[in-house]
Amino acid sequence: MSLSEFYSSLGESLDEVLDRLRMESRIMKYLRLFLEDPSFNELKEAFESKDAKTAFRAAHTLKGVAANLGLNKLSNTSSDLTEDLRPGVFTDKSQALLEKVEADYIAAVEGIKQLE
Amino acid sequence: MDETRPLILIVDDVALNRALLSDVLCDKYNILEAKNGNEALLLLREKTSEISLVLLDMVMPQKDGMEVLSIMNKNGWINEIPVIMISVETSHSLIEGAYSLGVTDFIGRPFDEMVLMNRVNNTIRLYAKQKQLSNLVLSQIYEKTRNNSMMVTMLSHIVEFRNGESGLHVLHINTITEMLLRELLCRSNKYAINRDDIGIISTASSMHDIGKITIPDAILNKPGKLTPEEFNIIKGHSLNGAQMLNSVPFGKDEPLMKHAYEICRWHHERYDGRGYPDGLKGDEIPIAAQIVSIADVYDALTSERCYKKAYTHEKALEMIHNNECGVFNPLLLECLDAISSRFVVSLQTFDWGKQADKDFFYIADSMMKDKAHPIYNQTFRQFINERKKSHFFESMLDDLLFEYSYTPAVIRFSSMASQKLGLPRTISEKDDKLALGANAENWEKIQSVVHQHPALSNDPIQTEVTLTVDGKSTPCKVMLLQIWENSPDKKSTLASVYGHIDILH
Repeated sequence: MSLSEFYSSLGESLDEVLDRLRMESRIMKYLRLFLEDPSFNELKEAFESKDAKTAFRAAHTLKGVAANLGLNKLSNTSSDLTEDLRPGVFTDKSQALLEKVEADYIAAVEGIKQLE
Repeated sequence: MDETRPLILIVDDVALNRALLSDVLCDKYNILEAKNGNEALLLLREKTSEISLVLLDMVMPQKDGMEVLSIMNKNGWINEIPVIMISVETSHSLIEGAYSLGVTDFIGRPFDEMVLMNRVNNTIRLYAKQKQLSNLVLSQIYEKTRNNSMMVTMLSHIVEFRNGESGLHVLHINTITEMLLRELLCRSNKYAINRDDIGIISTASSMHDIGKITIPDAILNKPGKLTPEEFNIIKGHSLNGAQMLNSVPFGKDEPLMKHAYEICRWHHERYDGRGYPDGLKGDEIPIAAQIVSIADVYDALTSERCYKKAYTHEKALEMIHNNECGVFNPLLLECLDAISSRFVVSLQTFDWGKQADKDFFYIADSMMKDKAHPIYNQTFRQFINERKKSHFFESMLDDLLFEYSYTPAVIRFSSMASQKLGLPRTISEKDDKLALGANAENWEKIQSVVHQHPALSNDPIQTEVTLTVDGKSTPCKVMLLQIWENSPDKKSTLASVYGHIDILH
């Protein structure tokens, strides 16, 4: 899969990211680094250990990282979760919001793994 | 690394974000990276004058961006090091909070690399220009102060020379006056003087005997006892000195002139009203003149003169306390006792070059604190602290030394100290004590030594503690030098403590 196909498959636009980050090779490098970023795992663990503050921070980080890479869907669902957790406690919506983040995260990760 | 390129500190907990920034900037700038707020603060303390810009993430584990900013405010770093905050945060109030803590700019995510690059370039250029200007101003003042101070010293030496006294008299009075003033300011706010006056009054003290140039040689340097008439002529020197200053056609309102006048005219008054020329009593005598009067008597007693031998330090203090050479303000006598053990050393190690530096420090210090036109210059502030530090360390090389800083709370040992005490070269107060093993107790003891002296002091403090040296319990003497900094609310806070450990056998 090419970089452009990857972004299209997620319903995103490579051009928008290229405008900001200039070079395909660099975008490629950052997407590979994204696979190593622990934020999503930290988010899951924080939910399991009922640590809403850490969950907020991880969601906030994920939102920023995804936005920079043009993974806007993931950034938006992370943003919804960030706002939900901002007061520092879990709400009855938190779990459902996490599931949306997870779906977008897995779609992105699967796509990155198939990049040439 | 090309040292001439500006240095940028990137603070972000996410490796990907740091790479994103450093890739764009590394062509033009040197880059330092920190993974969290604590790491950032350590680097900021170590390289305050080298870092040209901080790119700061807002949400991080341990210390977040806002905490880093408030410590940068507390330490005054924010005035000299620009900070650009980069965050995906959209909350209006949080962004406003960052601006109110002094960030120069706020860049949201996702950012455009071209825009980021330009904002970084502009910010660095602007601050570099400001720094250049303040360096220029301060180095010119430094030159002027050195010359002025040398001029005053030369003139007062001429007077001394004619009196047949060693030139050291003026320098000793300078030092004692300064120490007495510092001690007085710690004990009382009764008098209308503040820290900025210390340098001025001690410089003015050099002029106390200029009136003596009006006294004929035959009387001034007469070896035998003076007749009452001759003594009356000598007594004229205080009024004559004051009149000489009064006839200087300008500078009447300058603090230096005002204090020099007070000192010339009234340094032979007595607290009980039986002095000369005006018979002023108690605090009718300006405090500057009272202080120089004690300094003058002490130094006259402990020096050899054509009519007497030198008394010992102890004997001189005893004579002053017994009112054998005048009557003094009891508060000043308390100050004299408090500092007397220290000034024997200060007087023996006096160095003109250091005195000129000191005058400059006072001016630079008060300029940096000036409310209306503050000059922010971390380089000079560090220069001042470095000078104090090296003066203290000079004589103690190859010894057991340590350096403790408060924010962040970190201690650094010299290699000898680290070896003898069995501790790592650098320890953070946050570090796990268990990791230090058997010698954790040494660290705890040094911590308590560092924290046990909250009293403001500019002179080394001595204390004793038993430490484990080379695995054996050993009594040690510790000398400490505190470095105080003034925060915006005018309260002095401890910034660092430098220490020297002496093993007692």
